[in-house]
Amino acid sequence: MRPATDTDAVLLCADERGPVKKHFIAAAFFWAVLTAAGELLVFADLFPTVGSEEAEEFDRIFRILLAMGWPVFAFVVSVVGYSFFQFRSRGDDSEDGPAMYGRGAVPRVWLGITGGLAVLTMIFPGLTGLAELQSDRGGYGWGDTEGELLVKVEGFRYSWAFQYPDLGVEILGANQELVLPVDTKVKFEVSSLDVVHSFWIPAFRMKIDAIPGRTTFMTVTPTKVGSYDDDQSFRVQCAELCGMDHSVMSFPVRVVEREEFDAWIASQKEEQ
Amino acid sequence: MYAAATIVGGLGTGLIGFYIGIGVTALVRLAFGLDAWEKELSIAVGYVFGLFGWLMGIGGWGIWGREWFGLKTYQRKATGWQRYFTFCTDHKVIGIQYLVTFSVTFLLAGLMAMLMRAELAFSGTQIFSHDQFNAIMGLHGILMVAVAVAAVFGGFGNYFVPLMIGAEDMAFPRLNALSFWLVPPTAFMLLTTPFLGGIDTGWTAYPPLSTVVDTAQLTFNLAIITFGLSSILGGLNFIVTIIFMRAPGMTWGRLPIFVWSMFATAWIALLYTQGFAVALFMVTMDRIAGMSFFNVDNGGDPLLYQHIFWFYSHPAVYIMVLPGFGILLEVLSHFSRKPLFAYKYAVGGFLGILGLSGGVWAHHMFTSGMPNFLHGPFLVATELISIPTGLVFLSALGTIWMGKLQLRPPMLFALAVLFNFACGGVTGIFLADVPTDIHLHDTYFVVAHFHYTILGGEIFAMFAGIYYWFPKMTGRQYNEKLAKLHFWWMFIGFNLTFFLMHFPGIQGMNRRIADYPEYLEPINLAVSLSAFFLGASFLVFVYNMVWSWFRGPAAEANPWRARTLEWQTSSPPPVENFHVPPVVTGHPYDYGVPGSTHGVFGGLPGGLPGAAPAGGGGGGQ
Repeated sequence: MRPATDTDAVLLCADERGPVKKHFIAAAFFWAVLTAAGELLVFADLFPTVGSEEAEEFDRIFRILLAMGWPVFAFVVSVVGYSFFQFRSRGDDSEDGPAMYGRGAVPRVWLGITGGLAVLTMIFPGLTGLAELQSDRGGYGWGDTEGELLVKVEGFRYSWAFQYPDLGVEILGANQELVLPVDTKVKFEVSSLDVVHSFWIPAFRMKIDAIPGRTTFMTVTPTKVGSYDDDQSFRVQCAELCGMDHSVMSFPVRVVEREEFDAWIASQKEEQ
Repeated sequence: MYAAATIVGGLGTGLIGFYIGIGVTALVRLAFGLDAWEKELSIAVGYVFGLFGWLMGIGGWGIWGREWFGLKTYQRKATGWQRYFTFCTDHKVIGIQYLVTFSVTFLLAGLMAMLMRAELAFSGTQIFSHDQFNAIMGLHGILMVAVAVAAVFGGFGNYFVPLMIGAEDMAFPRLNALSFWLVPPTAFMLLTTPFLGGIDTGWTAYPPLSTVVDTAQLTFNLAIITFGLSSILGGLNFIVTIIFMRAPGMTWGRLPIFVWSMFATAWIALLYTQGFAVALFMVTMDRIAGMSFFNVDNGGDPLLYQHIFWFYSHPAVYIMVLPGFGILLEVLSHFSRKPLFAYKYAVGGFLGILGLSGGVWAHHMFTSGMPNFLHGPFLVATELISIPTGLVFLSALGTIWMGKLQLRPPMLFALAVLFNFACGGVTGIFLADVPTDIHLHDTYFVVAHFHYTILGGEIFAMFAGIYYWFPKMTGRQYNEKLAKLHFWWMFIGFNLTFFLMHFPGIQGMNRRIADYPEYLEPINLAVSLSAFFLGASFLVFVYNMVWSWFRGPAAEANPWRARTLEWQTSSPPPVENFHVPPVVTGHPYDYGVPGSTHGVFGGLPGGLPGAAPAGGGGGGQ
């Protein structure tokens, strides 16, 4: 008993509120303006300090996704907002709208576009970005499997212990800092003594869980000199709920020039 | 007083069962020469016996248990409000039991959110110790998960699925009552946790933490296993009901979209809920039976838990959101006075989400240290979900386009769902993409994202449903001005709170923390103030609902001139739902089609003497 009207036919016909074309153009204009305004967000500095090569990469991909995602959000807002103001029922409430069923080309085109966007996003920046992050398909971590400096990290409730096995130095306890040389590829090997923790340095934008019984790793190249005292994003923060004092399970980080790092290592060796 | 007698009876038999359980444990242990009392083991066994005792005492014995011994079964015949406190098999009573229980839970858990925001307004420790904060945070999480899983699914699902398909009741009414009466023990066990040491592990309960902490972890586990049983039974019941109980003429192509969403949801609940239950059962076994599923020293693996847990807990978000989508499309069609656009594609969207839901869980584990080769497939599967979700949006946007939008309270909430979920969907891409997720995982960006999808998507849809169906359920009309005030207040408060919440996440604020470094203080203060503004909006809602339920003007049978079957019977419907059983003759959403009908009753359109024809109202263009 349904009339044989097709979506396309109804979409292109006119009703008493004027030609449909007018609504399409107006809504599209609204969308274009909203998209253009929102794309300015890409230039906004939403991020903490860029402390590593990986952080630059994160900020770049975040901006790409923002640029890709905003128009989609703006599209929904435009249609909902335009309908809210233009298609609201005025006066006589008893009248029905046009019987559009969406059986024509519109759903197929929609499926094609959304499918294309999904595939695009998963390939770029998804899988391509992932390929750059993982050097070893069977491994348990991010980045290259070899670094110029090895740091062993152990999480325990509620602090961290660090070891430079090649340099014979350990960091453990209060009033200490994790000291790293700038522009050096550092490989962290992470594990846990008790429960699951997560090793995260916001300034580096990198994180990997510390799990008992398994060693995970992440390789990071710090690019900026800085310390927790001046910038609190230079800190190791536990990012996996680990019990009572999880929120304060953090550890200051200091990134220094190579010479300063060597001097610091020498002084640590004397003390130990 | 039947109500008081049932509740006291249930508590009594429950307590007796609990002590029998402890006694049995003691006897067995003594026989093996062990101490009679072993705290967690005794409590766990006692709980199993106590749960059985509770279910029997609350009414299960009369309506079910007697049958096992060849005795005649009976059901207590309470009337009025007392029905809500008995083991009643009427799906409408059960629907309201679910809705009221979980509305109260929602407000309670919301209050906990206010407490957390009060603590987080400033850096440092203000009000709560770290332990207290964790207990509140974990409880807020699990209670809200329970609300999100069961309020729409159990509440509106029970009340409206049978009505919308023209059935007299659910397929298994007794099982239905059983599913509900498993909820009070769950709530009781969860609400006792703060007094037994709190839960320190959040609602996710990751081991080895959850196997070693000396807190109320066991109580939490038992509550969730009980709740899982309730979900599974509910899911099974809906599937059977929708397949076998449809009125004559109610073909799959004429099924109201809310029923379709419930069908997809019920499958997810049936297939995946066991994951959560099994994961927590294994934790419980590690704790009370000395097993070592997750204990590394004895060959266990902590990551095993995360796989099993997320195997349920990701599909769970679709248990939350799919019925919300169902209400969304339902409301949009009726209040745009237009057929549901691309109906079959929307159904395809629901089934597509159902199909993909079980293959995406490890995107919660991108930084968990799982093997590298797992990241790619889960990234792809996760982003594929945007395609069926996009079909739901196609249907929604196509329906309102060129419609005659009636901006009544349900419609306002439905339109807000589109806005909020679009935002939550876009931020989801940042978390599905591994390169951005590495930094954002376990930060406030995630908290903002899932509040946009669950609170902004499902709970806004739940409010659309409440304002849409309130006249049908209570027979009374609410104050529309207050409802609109609630909408705008909540919409603005919600968006302020959770939009701002993205920024501390990017800046380096991890989630589930009682304290944070000072540099995050200004933005957190802003979030807290917005959250208090949001929280206050619910006072309007509560006042409006309570006042209207008792004092509101009588509602018509069909105040919205909607076409679906639930509106073609009186408000509230009689026990047998329809005075005359309906026969379905057409599509539920044929607005603007002159002469179309959805259901006829005894050969006549309309189920009430002198009522408008089902799906009549408004002739055409």
